[in-house]
Order: sequence, then C-alpha cells, then structure tokens
Amino acid sequence: MVGLAEFFERKPNIEVVVFAGKGGLGKTTSSAALSYHMAVNEGKKVLCFSTDPQASLSDIFERDLFGKGVVEVAPNLYVVEIDADKKIAEYQQEIKHKIMDMYGLEELPKEIEEYIDSTSAEPAMYESATYDAMADLVASGEYDLYVFDMPPFGHGVRMVAMAEILSAWVDKITEARKEAAEYEAVAATLKGGMQTEDMVLKELEEIRKKMTTFTELMTNSEKTAFFMVMVPEKMAILDTERALEMFRELNIEMSGVIVNQIYPRDLLNKPDLPELLRKKIEMQEKHLLEIREKFEDLIAAIIPMYDREPKGLEMIAKVAEDLMNSRRDLLWW
Amino acid sequence: MLDWEVIPIPLFGRKNKEKKEEKKEGVSEALKGVLYGFAVHGAATAALKTRMHMEHLFMLMTLGDMLGFPIIPPYYSLKILPYVVPNIKSWKERLFRERDFTDLLSG
Repeated sequence: MVGLAEFFERKPNIEVVVFAGKGGLGKTTSSAALSYHMAVNEGKKVLCFSTDPQASLSDIFERDLFGKGVVEVAPNLYVVEIDADKKIAEYQQEIKHKIMDMYGLEELPKEIEEYIDSTSAEPAMYESATYDAMADLVASGEYDLYVFDMPPFGHGVRMVAMAEILSAWVDKITEARKEAAEYEAVAATLKGGMQTEDMVLKELEEIRKKMTTFTELMTNSEKTAFFMVMVPEKMAILDTERALEMFRELNIEMSGVIVNQIYPRDLLNKPDLPELLRKKIEMQEKHLLEIREKFEDLIAAIIPMYDREPKGLEMIAKVAEDLMNSRRDLLWW
Repeated sequence: MLDWEVIPIPLFGRKNKEKKEEKKEGVSEALKGVLYGFAVHGAATAALKTRMHMEHLFMLMTLGDMLGFPIIPPYYSLKILPYVVPNIKSWKERLFRERDFTDLLSG
C-alpha cells in the first residue's frame, strides 16, 4: 500500500490520527497535510492539535497560533497549538482560587501555596497537562477527526502508558476512599450524625472516566491510527525500530510508517548532477533498502523532498496530495 | 522518630487493611452492644480511628509528593488538594510526631 487514501478506505471509522517520531522529520507537516486534506477535500470537521513544545503549526500555516486556542485556518480546518506552560499556570491559579473560595480565605497558607507552585517544576506536569488537554478536546466530540502532532518525548506513546498508570492509581485511591467513607458512615450512624458527601470521590470518578475513555479510544485500532514519520537515514531507522518495540509493549498497533524527504532517484541520470547531491541520493538509496527490509509491510506513504519549505496552504495542499496518494516512482523496487 | 519509617506503600496498605479487619469485627460486636444498650461510644471511636488511619493513607497516596515522595504526576493531585486542605495539618503532625512506649499501649 502506498498512500494514506487506501488506509482510510480500509478504516473508515478512524477518529484520531497520531503522528509520532523524532523532531524535525515532518510530523507537523504530515499532521497539517492530513488535516488539510480531510477538511478541504473531504469536508470533515478537523482539529489539528500540536503537543510539541516547539510547535511549528504556526510556521506551517503562517499564522501565530501558539497559545491562541482553537483557530480556523481554512474552512472546516481548526488548529490548536497548546501553550502547556500557560495552561499549567492557569490551572494552578484555578486551584488556588478554589481553595480560597471553599474556606473563605483571604490568602493561601504559605505551605499550600508553595506546594502548588512547586508542582510546575515536575517534568510529568507538562505531559499530564498536554494529555489532559487532548482528552478534553476529544471528549468534546465537536470534530469528525482529531489529528495529533506528538512531541518527540518518548515518541509520544509514553502518554498512553502514563494514562494506564494514572488510571490504576485513581482506581486504587477511589477504593481507599470508598472504604474510608464506609467507616465514616458507621461512625456517623452510631453517633447519630449526618454522612457528608464525599466530593473527593466525585472528583476521582471524573478523572478516571476521562482517562479510561481516552485511553480506550487511543488503543482502539479501528478508531485511532498511529503513524511514525521517518526519513531514509540511519538514526531515523533505529528510532523507528525502538518505537515499534514500544508500541508492541503497550499493545498499540502501529498503523504505518511515513517515509519523508525522499530525493527523486531519476536525478541520478542527470550528467551534471553535483557530487554532493549524488552522494546524498546514493546514501538514501542504501537506507531505503534497509527500510524496505525492516518495515516494508508498514510503509504507508512516501513523501518527496520538495524544492522549498512546505509552508502555506498551497504547499500543504501539495504535501497532502503526496501523503494521500504517494508517487510510486519514488520507490523503485 | 518518624512513625512510618519509609514503609513501602503496599505494605502500608496491607497493614491498614489488617487493622481494618479487626476494627470491622469490633464494629459489628459494638452494633450488638447497641442493641443491648452499651459500648456505643467505643465503637464509634474505633470506626473514627480507622477512618483516620485510612485518611492518612489516602493523603499519602494523593499528596505524597508534598513530603518528597513522587507518587503520581501532581496534575491530578492538585484536583484533590482543595478538599483535603483541612486535613493536611493533622496528617503531617501525625506522620512527624515523636512516638514513645505509650503509643504501643494505645495502639
């Protein structure tokens, strides 16, 4: 199979598409191109979401989107470039106000304020905030298709692993909380007091529900597709192999590999081809053979190297064409 | 000395569960007692005490990182924080309390 068009024909119920892989290989470009195709050519309402801290959707769509919320860049095509730091800061503020409101405080106890502030230093905080934002967006069900441009950390799939851990954790504390509530009820009955409603349980249930729903969706291969974006280079091949391993461990089906930045091979027939370019093409050829050997069944699309940066709607439309129906002449085997 | 001596959490949980089983029996015994008109106060106290133990366990599970134990990304701990603010003081006091032999007598 070459081209994502075939993939979407086979799997018409896909709701979420995730592009993973190393930085700078074309994840964001692929995300933008697929989103563009689905929105403009197929009339689906699409949300393209970048979780990359160095988000470049702004660059591709040539508009400042960072931390601006949902922006419609073309008919049916909506884009979000999340500013996770800002989201965390707002979230912390919200918690502080909630505590002050709940207990009628003028200011927070120093210890609690310090604790809340210190949480932004946790590396996992960033990932949790991003994951939470993704889950919220998908839960809204406002769009026909969600396209996620995953940040390079742990190929993004670590987020799914984290969801499982979080889910187990919430289960455990929910259990502990329920037991505690039982004892409270016993004590209250014996003393003739009233049972207080446990808001914590409610909150925990909500977190759990949100996470399980999202994790179930992400691990359902009929509804969610994961594509690895790579280039014909040694590093990218190694990285993709590692990612495949990780996917297997998490029981996630990798839908396919997208090989990007391929130089047209017929350039080699040009007598005046500069030596540098010839070397580059020959090197790619070697690595493409390795890619064929290792991932042949997985190759979902091939994208050529363009003569200019894939920026702006016009270029994105061109990339979308290659992504959906790849040029077969790029693969000579 | 710290009374919990960095006990791994599952152990901590199991320990509590055992205690809970004892207390559960205590509670049903006491319910009989209610019917006969005595021992009500003791049972209520026992239930409350178990409740307190579980509250401490719960606090550790949710806000362990407040004491330097990274248990879970604090993103979701923060969601719980507002509800447990009144318990933080007593939780920490209990965890960091000096203990002596009279604690053994009172359990």
